[in-house]
Amino acid sequence: MNSYDIDAAKRNLSALVDFSNFINSSLDLKFILSNLLLTCFGKFHTTRGLVALMDEDGRLRLKAYKGLTQAMAGEFPEIEAASKSESCTEEAFNSSALGEFCRKYHITYFQNIVCSQGIKGVLFLGERLNKKEYSPDDKAFVGTLVNIAATAIENSAFIEKLKDLNRRLDSKVSMLSALFELSKEFSGILEPSRVGKLLVYSVIGQLLVSNYAVVLCTPEGLKVLEAKFPKKLLETLNLCNAAEVSTPLRKEDFGEELETLGSLGVELIIPMQIQGETKGLILLGKRFNKEEFKESDIEFIYATGSLAIISIENAKLFKEALEKQRMEEDLEIARDIQKNLFPQKIPALEGFEISAVNVSSKQVGGDYYDVIKLNDSDCLIAIGDVSGKGVPAALLMANLQAFLKSICRQGLELNRATDIINDLVSENTAMGNFITFFWGILDSRAKSMTYVNAGHNPPLLIRGGQILKLTKGGMILGVIKTMVPYVSETIELQRGDILILFTDGVTEAMNRNMEEFTDERLESLALGLKNESSDEILQKIRAEVEKFVNGANQSDDITLLTVKVK
Amino acid sequence: MVDFNVETRENSHVNVVNLHGYLDAHTAPELEDVFTKLIDDRKFKVVVNFENLAYISSAGLGVFMAYVETMRENNGDIKFSNMSPKIYNIFDLLGFPLLYEFYKDEKEAVQKFNEKS
Repeated sequence: MNSYDIDAAKRNLSALVDFSNFINSSLDLKFILSNLLLTCFGKFHTTRGLVALMDEDGRLRLKAYKGLTQAMAGEFPEIEAASKSESCTEEAFNSSALGEFCRKYHITYFQNIVCSQGIKGVLFLGERLNKKEYSPDDKAFVGTLVNIAATAIENSAFIEKLKDLNRRLDSKVSMLSALFELSKEFSGILEPSRVGKLLVYSVIGQLLVSNYAVVLCTPEGLKVLEAKFPKKLLETLNLCNAAEVSTPLRKEDFGEELETLGSLGVELIIPMQIQGETKGLILLGKRFNKEEFKESDIEFIYATGSLAIISIENAKLFKEALEKQRMEEDLEIARDIQKNLFPQKIPALEGFEISAVNVSSKQVGGDYYDVIKLNDSDCLIAIGDVSGKGVPAALLMANLQAFLKSICRQGLELNRATDIINDLVSENTAMGNFITFFWGILDSRAKSMTYVNAGHNPPLLIRGGQILKLTKGGMILGVIKTMVPYVSETIELQRGDILILFTDGVTEAMNRNMEEFTDERLESLALGLKNESSDEILQKIRAEVEKFVNGANQSDDITLLTVKVK
Repeated sequence: MVDFNVETRENSHVNVVNLHGYLDAHTAPELEDVFTKLIDDRKFKVVVNFENLAYISSAGLGVFMAYVETMRENNGDIKFSNMSPKIYNIFDLLGFPLLYEFYKDEKEAVQKFNEKS
């Protein structure tokens, strides 16, 4: 070896050491490739060079170039690498699109970039300014350069990959924390509109969407909670069976039925489900950054939607529970009113046994009864049924009692008193409210009863195996002011006579087969009575009704008033 | 917990929205009210100053998405300024820099508005 060669080898070596130090100090791919090219340019006096690297999908793509315009570089063909071990062969270099490209731009030499996992890419170099071919020494030198660069390239690719992974991880973390925050937030909100707003903000903020709609499926059809889509969209939505969407749908999966939605700018439909049932939909338009919705985005929206719909459903249930509670409080009040209207103790009247009972139903019907001693010999008995249930019925009942208590002491004839009561009730009830009413005065001296029946279920008078129905009177109270005066009837009473006053809660008591107790059953029961006291009669009828109903829900009040003549 | 608080002021015909504290699902409605009012008052040039914002969640980001179109349709915009790196990272992660202008300084952002008009 002469001294010239030794010098050249020394120069080469020190250049290599410099290069190695230089590029391994960086993890920036651009920097590494640029230096690789520049080092080659300096060494071989060429002005053109390109580096193509293998992408994940096994294709060679241009990553860096020098000495070519952007347009020229744009012509670089994408090459499918034959295999990992052999990316660019002489054959490929000479023939095909790549060969054409190289000839056109005077690229005369290539060198595969090989690393521990096989081919990483290819370095291309243009012809030398002195038009000399690349000598075997030159090629060996390039080979060494590329080997050194390969490690650096691999490292930087690894770092890029890590960065990308980190970014994706960050994005997942951000989605998770958004979900976590929302779940905390949603659980405390009871207004669906507020839930809708939060849902929308979280989704559009996370995914950069500006057109959106959130609709709820209600029994009355779709209801828009939040929307920033043309009005037409919502009409379209109601036309197609949007509620039947059960999985997230991208525009391309919309199918014929939802096609119009796509033409209105909807890109994605995501159902909000509870236990697999679609309770609402989230519709989203294009993303601002023109990106597609990724699978993970859809998962995020679905999860957010599920949280929101559960919160909305909870709000609904809470409201219902609240209403139910309020209603029950109402009924408690009604029950109290009713209980206070009934006589605390039934007054005694010589020659008569009087008993009465009221079994209030859950909803509190409007049954009413009263027993008022007018003087030593006369006693008023009354029974009525106010239309409606609950508090309104209870209040009307209270009115009736007030009228009755003040009128019965005026010494008026019972029929005239009924005229007045009807006028009062008519004046004081809203349209459609009425009272069926029966009252009578038991006279212990004359052993008789004078009564007026204003449309109430006729009380039964049982005497000697016969039933007499007490029907005389007039129309029900409260429908219209008295035009036709009420009539009364006086009947003589005999020892052993039984009077049974009742409300329709008795005869219409229902069993589980929706069959009613009926007047016939009550009458045949009444005919079977013999020596029972008034109280025993009461208990017998109650027991019979209970037996018939057999545990079915009592839908109306049951009221009974019995009189036995001694 | 640090509360959230938002105030608006005018700086050379541009409306500056100052954010303080935590902007999350809970406090987003407050910011929403501010934007609704700006639009009602036909004030479409907005710079949001993030200097004192400690935290932002995606619901907070959503508010900007919800109003930016209206601003732009009316020759205005929402521009961001004085963002800490921590807050900027969140915006960056979700791709906001493609769609919004970010400025180091409120003055710069305000100037940008006035250059155009």
